[in-house]
Amino acid sequence: MFFRKIFTIAVLSITCVASAHAGTIKISLVPDKANSPRPAMGNFLRFHSIIKNISDKPVEGLVAWISLIEIDPGHEQPVDLEDWSAHKAITVARMNPGDALKTVWPMRLIQHGHYRVVICAADRIHHPIYTSPALEFHVSKKPMIQSRRILPVALSVPVLIIGLIFYRRRKSRRSRA
Amino acid sequence: MTPVRLIAAKECRALLQNQRGLVYLLAFSVLLSAFAILLISNRELSLLDNAQVVYMMTGTITAAGALIAVILGSDSYAGERERGTLIPLLAAPVTPGELLMGKAAGITTAWGVMYGLSLPYLWAVGSSGQNLLQAIFYLALFGSPVVLGFGYLSMALSAETGHVLTALLNSLLLLIFSASPLLIGPGLRNSAAGRFLDAINPFSGALNTYDAAIIDGNPFFAQLPRLALVLIWFGLAFAAARAASRRPRFM
Repeated sequence: MFFRKIFTIAVLSITCVASAHAGTIKISLVPDKANSPRPAMGNFLRFHSIIKNISDKPVEGLVAWISLIEIDPGHEQPVDLEDWSAHKAITVARMNPGDALKTVWPMRLIQHGHYRVVICAADRIHHPIYTSPALEFHVSKKPMIQSRRILPVALSVPVLIIGLIFYRRRKSRRSRA
Repeated sequence: MTPVRLIAAKECRALLQNQRGLVYLLAFSVLLSAFAILLISNRELSLLDNAQVVYMMTGTITAAGALIAVILGSDSYAGERERGTLIPLLAAPVTPGELLMGKAAGITTAWGVMYGLSLPYLWAVGSSGQNLLQAIFYLALFGSPVVLGFGYLSMALSAETGHVLTALLNSLLLLIFSASPLLIGPGLRNSAAGRFLDAINPFSGALNTYDAAIIDGNPFFAQLPRLALVLIWFGLAFAAARAASRRPRFM
């Protein structure tokens, strides 16, 4: 377990640049240098990808997208990026041989846990899905607004004033009678 | 009991015992409750830093307080006129200055009650305790002159125009304009026009101080120019109320 962690950290700190599928498209993925080494919920992370056409033929109708997977034991699942990122995919009509496309993928960290991020790409003609190397990161918990403190206050203060209004109303009716 | 105390006590009773005054307080608390519930029901907002949330709540309290102060101020003279109680009041052995001080004390008490009501909300959203005391302190020091200034200005308009609706609409327009920094982001305010407005707008002065002190933890002496701005606003608004109250329109 210890060696696995060391290996993961080493892989991340050495930038994790690697190529994925050999073939038509090569994708590299590196974390931004400004990324926090200990990201917490609410922080932003950025990842830089370079998608390169390494074949001698043009690639038509390329689409690339970001995928996030939670890898906490018992919670392994793909993450819906709805709240995490507004920049989920890009499309390119044509990439000539040797063309490279640099993309920045910003992400807001919504939930704590261990995650793996990967960039995938597919084109209109070739069947394989191309993937970047996966980068792992851990999102730590952050003290946030506590609903157990807010709800009692938000509900009880107006209720108390309503109670006071009714009390005053009843009292004034009695005094009139 | 002096006439000032007598009038102030009447105004306080109107707020705390009168149904209309309690409804104003209810509106104030519902506004803060809605904002607090929005903070926990919206995922994006719930991830905000505690200091940021406390800052937003402090700004909302100031805006809601100013709104209620404007309503109370607009009713102060014109309301008496419309209810037919202004002439008996002016005929009573009370000087215009005493009448003004009594009415002003009523608005000050109302703000005191609203300030007290807002403390549980600040405590609730500032769950980590991060900069909570700064928020309470700066809300009292900067929020009070801003809120009371709007109340006194609407009192001036109330005495000047003699119509609750006219005084209320004019005061509300000014309040919405002044409180616009709450709605527009810092990016838009960073233009030359935005910076100029920030420099003369007391509401911006209070908001920028909340930002600097609650979020950034800047020292007190750095806030002194803005304190001067909100105190000048308070003084001018009170002077306007004093001038208008000498000859209130009662016909």
